[in-house]
Amino acid sequence: MFRFLNLTLSGVSNGMIYAAVALALVLIWRGTRVVNFAQGAMLMFTTFIAWDLSQQHNVNYWVCLAVAIGAGLIMGAVAERLLVRPVETGPPLNAIIVTLGLYIFLQGLAGAIWGNSQAHSYPPGYSIIGYKVGHRTLLFAPNDLYIVIAVAIILVALYVLFNRTPIGLRMRASAFNPEVSRLLGVRVGRLLTVGWALAAGVGALAGLLAAGTNPGYVAPTGYFDALLIYGFTAAVLGGLDSSVGAVVGGLLLGVLLSYGDGYIDNNVEGMYAVIILIAVLMVRPNGLFSRRAVRRV
Amino acid sequence: MLSIEDVVTTYGAVRALDGVSLTAEDGTITAVLGANGAGKTTLLRTINGLVKPQSGSISYAGHDLLKTRVENIVHYGIAHVPEGRGVITELTVEENLRLGALWRGERSVTAQSMREIYEMFPPLAERRQRSADTLSGGERQMLVVGRALMAKPKLLLLDEPSLGLAPRITAQIMATLRHLREQQGLTVVLVEQNARSALSVADEAVVLNLGKVVAQGKASDLAADEKLRHAYLGF
Repeated sequence: MFRFLNLTLSGVSNGMIYAAVALALVLIWRGTRVVNFAQGAMLMFTTFIAWDLSQQHNVNYWVCLAVAIGAGLIMGAVAERLLVRPVETGPPLNAIIVTLGLYIFLQGLAGAIWGNSQAHSYPPGYSIIGYKVGHRTLLFAPNDLYIVIAVAIILVALYVLFNRTPIGLRMRASAFNPEVSRLLGVRVGRLLTVGWALAAGVGALAGLLAAGTNPGYVAPTGYFDALLIYGFTAAVLGGLDSSVGAVVGGLLLGVLLSYGDGYIDNNVEGMYAVIILIAVLMVRPNGLFSRRAVRRV
Repeated sequence: MLSIEDVVTTYGAVRALDGVSLTAEDGTITAVLGANGAGKTTLLRTINGLVKPQSGSISYAGHDLLKTRVENIVHYGIAHVPEGRGVITELTVEENLRLGALWRGERSVTAQSMREIYEMFPPLAERRQRSADTLSGGERQMLVVGRALMAKPKLLLLDEPSLGLAPRITAQIMATLRHLREQQGLTVVLVEQNARSALSVADEAVVLNLGKVVAQGKASDLAADEKLRHAYLGF
């Protein structure tokens, strides 16, 4: 029972990170109907920027976090403007290829700057020594609590932005019906840029949180690709259209993977994710929360 | 005054508009009539900039609309009412309405302007917090008209407001248009397949056929022209 509790707690903490990555994918999918395959590489790159500041220049953790998120915002906006905008009216495959190209480019660039082979470690925000209950240690540390709270704050902030502010209303309107929105005076193009920026900012946060939980994992290749796959699985699980779905999908995936690791075998975590992804696509391709796909022609 | 001169719009080899000219004076209702495929919707889409014409000119109140971005036409006081599909179904009724007024800035979405729309269309008031996809066809039409009015337009472009609606609701919407014309001096360009109901409110009318203007004049004259009615208007 204690083991089950531990696996669940650890799953929730990882799940929040997957939820943030899924949310980044959903934000972009809703606005531009593109799955951003470069998301993993983008958050790898922003994490490296933070790593460089933190480990090479001894910059404070919170400053690094702010810089990483800022870099993410800029990177997202630039990617939308320069790369995605020109292919937006073409066939969907073009946009996918462009994001794949960006993925390869960023991975190469990071390798050139920071070295391809060795993995670096990035400090967690708080202690990773688990809380104690009696004489037993939970698989849940102050850093996990920090992850849960940080992602929760972002979720609430995005919810308020989308549902309670004029710019949020404009963003939702232009995602759902760009033509009508333009006729109502909404600058749809500008809002798509904002959407990509926000998504990449959320991704940057997820990247740093993930790096802090996995010492030795900051590398141009490897862990961050897995993070993209987990995020994508979580997004599909929730239905690519739904931000609530992304969060529930992320938590669900985190917990399921944690049980898989704990009860079956912890060497094949990626395989569990792929099995879940395939199962969802077979049984419920629209995900758990999507209500729009039904109508799409 | 909306002035359209010799506009040619093509889709590939098809000339959807083949030299169309018309003017709509301020404070008038102009009906654009014709069968399916006559070019009515293309005319509206060309006016608001969603479609670029090959040649011709379109101006409103001194502004060259062909040089205006779609997002900016609302700044000249032009509001477009798309067919019933123009409701953004993922938003609530109230959010759809707010969106109409947002171009003037958030503070312009006053309780007053919202109340006016709800008074005009009471069914919307009852469903204000509901998702717009729960609305019936008639309610959706009310919503798109109400949303356009939230923009406080001087020129209203309507695309088939009677499509798929019960005659009673069509009559209600037409009466609203006449009322707005009389109370606020609103200029209306009304694209309709339902010629009878459009001619009942319009001052002027234009009949399109295969992209060309085949008749133009006072709505009452056109309604009285039996040959024209049989040939193009189907009543």
